[in-house]
Amino acid sequence: MRIDRTQRGWAIASLIMIAVFTAVYVAYAARAPQGPRGGSAFGLTFGVIGFGFMIVAALLGARKRVPTWRIGRAQAWMRGHLWLGLLSLPVILFHGGFHFGGTLTSVLMWLLIITVVSGLFGAELQHYVPRVMTSDVKLETIYDEIGNVRKLLREEADRAVETVCGPIGVGKSASEEVLRAGGLSAARPMSLTGSLGAVAAAAETAVLTEEECAPLRQFYLSEMRPFLEQPRVRGSRLGDADKAHGAFSGLRTLLPPPAQATVEDLEDICDEARQLVRQERLHHLLHGWLLVHIPLSLALIILGAVHAVMALRYS
Amino acid sequence: MARTRTTKKLAQRIDLNYFKRPTSLKRAKFWLSAGLPAIALVWIAWHGFARDSRVYSSGRMSEAHAVLEAQCTACHLQTAGAFSAKASDAACSACHDGPLHHAALTNTAGCATCHTEHRGRVDIVAAKNESCAQCHGDLKTSNGVRSRYAAHIESLQNGHPEFAPLRREANRVRLPTTVRLNHAIHMKPIRRGPNGPNVQLECGNCHRPSAASPDLTYSDGRYVTATVSYGNRSALLPNTGILQPAKPATGRELMAPVKFATACAGCHLLTFDRRLDLGVPHDEPKVVHAFLIAAFSEYIRAHPAELREAVEPGRDLTGRPMAANTRVYTPNQWVASRVYDAEQLLWRKTCAQCHELSIRLAGAAPPVAPWLTVSPEQILTAPIFPEIQLAADPGPRMPHAKFDHDAHRGFACEGCHLKALSSTETSDVLLPGIAACKTCHAPGPEHAESRCFECHTYHDWSKRKEVKPTFMLPALRTGGR
Repeated sequence: MRIDRTQRGWAIASLIMIAVFTAVYVAYAARAPQGPRGGSAFGLTFGVIGFGFMIVAALLGARKRVPTWRIGRAQAWMRGHLWLGLLSLPVILFHGGFHFGGTLTSVLMWLLIITVVSGLFGAELQHYVPRVMTSDVKLETIYDEIGNVRKLLREEADRAVETVCGPIGVGKSASEEVLRAGGLSAARPMSLTGSLGAVAAAAETAVLTEEECAPLRQFYLSEMRPFLEQPRVRGSRLGDADKAHGAFSGLRTLLPPPAQATVEDLEDICDEARQLVRQERLHHLLHGWLLVHIPLSLALIILGAVHAVMALRYS
Repeated sequence: MARTRTTKKLAQRIDLNYFKRPTSLKRAKFWLSAGLPAIALVWIAWHGFARDSRVYSSGRMSEAHAVLEAQCTACHLQTAGAFSAKASDAACSACHDGPLHHAALTNTAGCATCHTEHRGRVDIVAAKNESCAQCHGDLKTSNGVRSRYAAHIESLQNGHPEFAPLRREANRVRLPTTVRLNHAIHMKPIRRGPNGPNVQLECGNCHRPSAASPDLTYSDGRYVTATVSYGNRSALLPNTGILQPAKPATGRELMAPVKFATACAGCHLLTFDRRLDLGVPHDEPKVVHAFLIAAFSEYIRAHPAELREAVEPGRDLTGRPMAANTRVYTPNQWVASRVYDAEQLLWRKTCAQCHELSIRLAGAAPPVAPWLTVSPEQILTAPIFPEIQLAADPGPRMPHAKFDHDAHRGFACEGCHLKALSSTETSDVLLPGIAACKTCHAPGPEHAESRCFECHTYHDWSKRKEVKPTFMLPALRTGGR
C-alpha cells in the first residue's frame, strides 16, 4: 500500500496521538521521583496502549487469512496496521522510559524495533519496486508460475532450434512434450505466420544442413540452453541485455537467411527469461522483508503477552 | 517474423492451480512464522522449568544488590497461594532496617518510591531530587506543628536556603566566642616568627582534619607532649540529634579544633620572667600559679644571691643621683614578689591576648580584672584565680548536612573561605555561602553531583537495628541451583 494523500486522515490522527503521548510523557518523566518506569501508572498505561496497537496491527494477518470477515474494509485494516504499528514503537519506548530493561524486555524492544523498521522498509519498497517492475519487467507473469514459464520458454527454444537444425539431442522431443501438455503451454504456436514457422508446431524436418546449422547448434547447446536452465547463475553473457544483443548479432552473421527468424525468436526468448529473473529479484525484494517482519511480529506478540503477565506479577 | 503474444496465449501458459503449490517464499514464511514464535515459547518455558525468573527482570540490579541478581526471591517474596510476587518493604528491612527520616513525616511511601531497583548498575542510594521534593517541596508535618525548616525546597538550585550560620550572621546574630583570633593579621606576612623573619602562615598550619597529623611548623614540643587539666579535645564532638550517615566517618571530613600546642605555641610564647627560659603551661590559672611558685622557688634555691635585690637608684629634684638602695627578701617574699609580677604579666597581657579573663568576687556583681584582686602579700596565701572560658567549638556549622573537606582537598582553602583573609573577629562566620557550593555542584555533565543525597541523609543510621544474616554463599550466587 502506498502512503499517499488518501492516508492524510490517519497521518494527522497519528501525529496528534504522538504529540499527546509525548506531552504526557515529558510531564510525567519530569515529575516521576525515580524517573519514568514501566510499572508506574503512566508506564502501565503506555504499555497497554502500545501493546494494544501491536495487537491491532497483528490482526491484519488474521483479517487477510479470512477475507470473508466483514469487519472493516481491508484497506482500513492495512492503514491501521501501518500507522498503529508505527505508533507502537514510541509508545512502548515511553512505557519503558527509553530503558530496554532486562533480558525479556530487551528482546521485546529489539523485536519491536526490527519489526517496525522492517515494516517501514516494506512500506518504502511499495513506493519503489512496483514502479521499477512496471518499467523493467514488461513481460511480467505470476510470480508463482515463473518456474513453469521458464520451463516452457526453454522448450519453445528447443523446438525453434530443432525446426531449423533437426533433433538436437536434449532429452525427449519438445514436440512430444507439447503434445503431452495438451497445448496449454508456450509450446503451442505463438505465431504461425513466420516464414519458417520458427515457433510453429514442431517440425521434424531440418531446413539447414549440418554444416550451416553448426554455429547455431553450438551456441544454443553451449550457451543459451544452460542460460535458460539456470538464468540466475552469474557469468553468462546472455544475462546482460547488451552482451546478449552482441552475441546474437554475431550469431546472425554466421547463419544463412532461413535461420535469421529463428535467431530473432531465440533472442526474444532470452530477453523474456532475463525479465523473469529481474521480476524474481524484484519480487524477493518486495516480499522478502516479510520473512523478517511476520515471524518477528508473531514472536513479539507472544513474548509481549508473557511480559505483561509476568510484569504484573513482579511489580 | 518475431514471436507474437496475445493475452489468451499468455494466459494459456499459466497453470490455473498455481496457487495450490507453495513457493519457496511462501514455505519460508510459513516455517519462520511457526518456528520463531515456537522458539520464543520454548525459551520462556525452558526458563520456567529451570525456575529461573531472571529472564523477567526489568533490568540489571544496582551495584549494591548485584550479588542478588540470581536470587529473585530475596526481594520478591511470594505468599502462599498468591500470584503476586511484588518486592516488599519487608524484604528491604530484612537487611536495611533504617529508621524513618522524622517522626512527623506525612509521606511514608515504600522504599521503592525513592530507591528504584533494576535500573542498571547505578547507586541505588542516589535518590532523585524529586524524591526529597515530594515532602520538602511543600513541607508539612503529620502533627500539625510548623516545621522549622524551609518549606519549599525542590533542589539545591531551586529553593534551598542559605546556610543557617550565614543567615544568622546576616541577621546580626552571632555565636558567643571565647578566644580572640584575628584571621586577617595571621594571614598577612608576619615580620617575626620562631624560625626567622617574614613568616607567611598557611591555613594548613593551623587547620587540619582530625585524622591527619597536625602541622608542627609552629608548634612547641614541650606543649605538644604536655598533659593538660582541661578537656583537650582532638576531634569534633559527635553530633547528637541529627541524622547520621550510614558509613562511619573517616576523620578527614571536618577540621579538628585548633590547639595551642601545635598551632600557636611556636610564636605565642608563654614566657613570664627574663631569668627563666620557660613558658608557663597552657593550662588553667591554678596550674599556672603552682607552676610559677615551683619555678621561682627552685630558681631562688639555686640563686640565693638574688634575695638581695638592688633597687634602681632614683634622682632628686635637681637631677643628682641618689645613693643606691638594696632590699633583702626572704625566699618566700622573693617568690611571692616574682609570682605576683609574672601573673600580672600573664593575666594582663599574655593570656589576655587570646582569652577573656575575669574574676567574680562575692558581692561584686560585675566581674573584675584579675590583676586588681590580689596583692603580693596575699599571692601565696590567698590566691584568687581568674576564670578562663574554654574555647567553645560550636561543632559542625551545618549539622543537617555532611561535608567532606577531604573530597575537596585539591582546592585552596581561601577559594571558598574567602572571608578568612579579612576577618578580624572570632565571631565572624567564615563558612562559605551556598553560592560557593553551586559553583561546582550543579546539574549537568560538567558539574559535580548536586542532588540532595550528596549532602543530606534521609535515614538516621545511628538508630539502625541489627540485622539477622539471611543469605548463604555460594548458594546465593547460583540462585540455589
